[in-house]
Amino acid sequence: MALQSIWTGTISFSLVAIPVQLVKAVLPGRVSFRMLHAKDYSPLSREMFCPDEEKIVPSDEIVRGFEIGPEKYIVVTDEELESLSPERSRSIEIVDFIDSDDVDPVYYDRPYYLVPSKSGEKAYGLLVEVMRRTNKAGIAKFVFGEREYLVLVRVTSGALCLVTLHYSDEILSDTGVATEKEGAVSEEKDRMVKTIRDMKAAFKPEKYTNERKRKIVSLLGKKAKKQAPVEAPVIGEETPEGPGDLVAVLQESMRKLKATK
Amino acid sequence: MAVRAIWKGYVHFGSFDVPVKLHTAVREQRVQFHLLHGRDHVRLRQQMVCIHEKVPVPSEEQIRGFELEEGKFIIVDDEELDRIEPEDSRAIEVHEFVKTGQIDPVYLERLYYLGPDVVSPGYDALLEALLEEGLEGICTWTMRKRSYVGTLGARGRVLRLGTLRYSDEVVPAGSLDLPDIELSDRELKAGIDLVNQLSGQFQPENFENEHQKKLQELIDKKASGEKISILRPKRRKATAPDKLLETLEASLKKVV
Repeated sequence: MALQSIWTGTISFSLVAIPVQLVKAVLPGRVSFRMLHAKDYSPLSREMFCPDEEKIVPSDEIVRGFEIGPEKYIVVTDEELESLSPERSRSIEIVDFIDSDDVDPVYYDRPYYLVPSKSGEKAYGLLVEVMRRTNKAGIAKFVFGEREYLVLVRVTSGALCLVTLHYSDEILSDTGVATEKEGAVSEEKDRMVKTIRDMKAAFKPEKYTNERKRKIVSLLGKKAKKQAPVEAPVIGEETPEGPGDLVAVLQESMRKLKATK
Repeated sequence: MAVRAIWKGYVHFGSFDVPVKLHTAVREQRVQFHLLHGRDHVRLRQQMVCIHEKVPVPSEEQIRGFELEEGKFIIVDDEELDRIEPEDSRAIEVHEFVKTGQIDPVYLERLYYLGPDVVSPGYDALLEALLEEGLEGICTWTMRKRSYVGTLGARGRVLRLGTLRYSDEVVPAGSLDLPDIELSDRELKAGIDLVNQLSGQFQPENFENEHQKKLQELIDKKASGEKISILRPKRRKATAPDKLLETLEASLKKVV
């Protein structure tokens, strides 16, 4: 599977710098719909719109602004954003290695993968193997888009997985969520432990299917059999986005259903 | 103090029901930007536009279609989608228990704190049972018209509910086609020594969101009309594959 890289740079520790690309680890698993104009089934696209001029604004005329008062903005450019931490926008520098299990998962935000760029394969392979053997993960900071992220770099199935972390001031305290312990619980606990042990298993993510997606695919399958699809007007040379492959989606979900039986 | 509860339900497994309340665990803080029209700084909004006529289409004239083949759609209306929505339920149904910390992090989505809803011995018993056994539950539930798969775990004095991504939303690491690399014992040993030398403990409080502060300073400077100097991003030179051992050993000398 060719994954589009969303960032290129280096990941480094001490004097070693490894050229890498950042790719997404999460895909939209949803059935994607296209919004259409009800009167003639013309596809719609999402655009930035100027309410004053009632016009679509092309991307080269759009700027980023921070609101400092009612309808008063300070414009900030990409270059100015990158200037804030020039040493961190193209390199992910591991400042500490920690035990993999040290990070409370409440800090986890979004996962990505790092994959080696040309001639980075060897150093990448070394970092993966060393972290796997020592059961360590790396902590780094890096600037991506409008934000600076605190990230955890850990090994998952032979790959470097980069997880963006929340900052500690974004984590709400769990104090007061649970009340003080009420007396002895050991009898109830022992009964629970018995049931829990009976229900022990290994986690198989494929076992839990997205029911909503399955139902939408089945609804679409039924409708496609019953009635002919509507057609969008063919005008000019507009190339719409590629069609969703219903057959492939159906086959894929059938295969998954079978696999979990 | 934790924020107020956002949902109530009960954890169900075997013959047990434990009433719980769900609390948010994370509140994101970011500098919020808006998109503006460059020439007059009018704030823009998103608008659905007909790709042919390039005119805005109001929401009451929009319908939803699944593209079967190019330009051909099956129309699906809100009512049909409503009928698919899962039925409301208050049950967090635990299906099995797995070893804590074994789930690939790419599946983890979002964590919530679970507090006891009514005073019962069940909450503390479940918390202690999970901590002692080193297990977490895999569960499903429906909340606000959405079905979730997730984890029921324990940490400190609090139960936690985490949502997981479905397997069709996750890119498996195996699909990345990473090459097999031969490494010499010397390279591995130098790498392991170096990583051990650079090891410490994770202290999240030590990491401040400095960027946020710098961004605020930048905005203040610009607001008062100061000139901003542009710094180019610094790139690091990649370590050449035949210089890897040398670089590892030089790094070791530096840290020891």
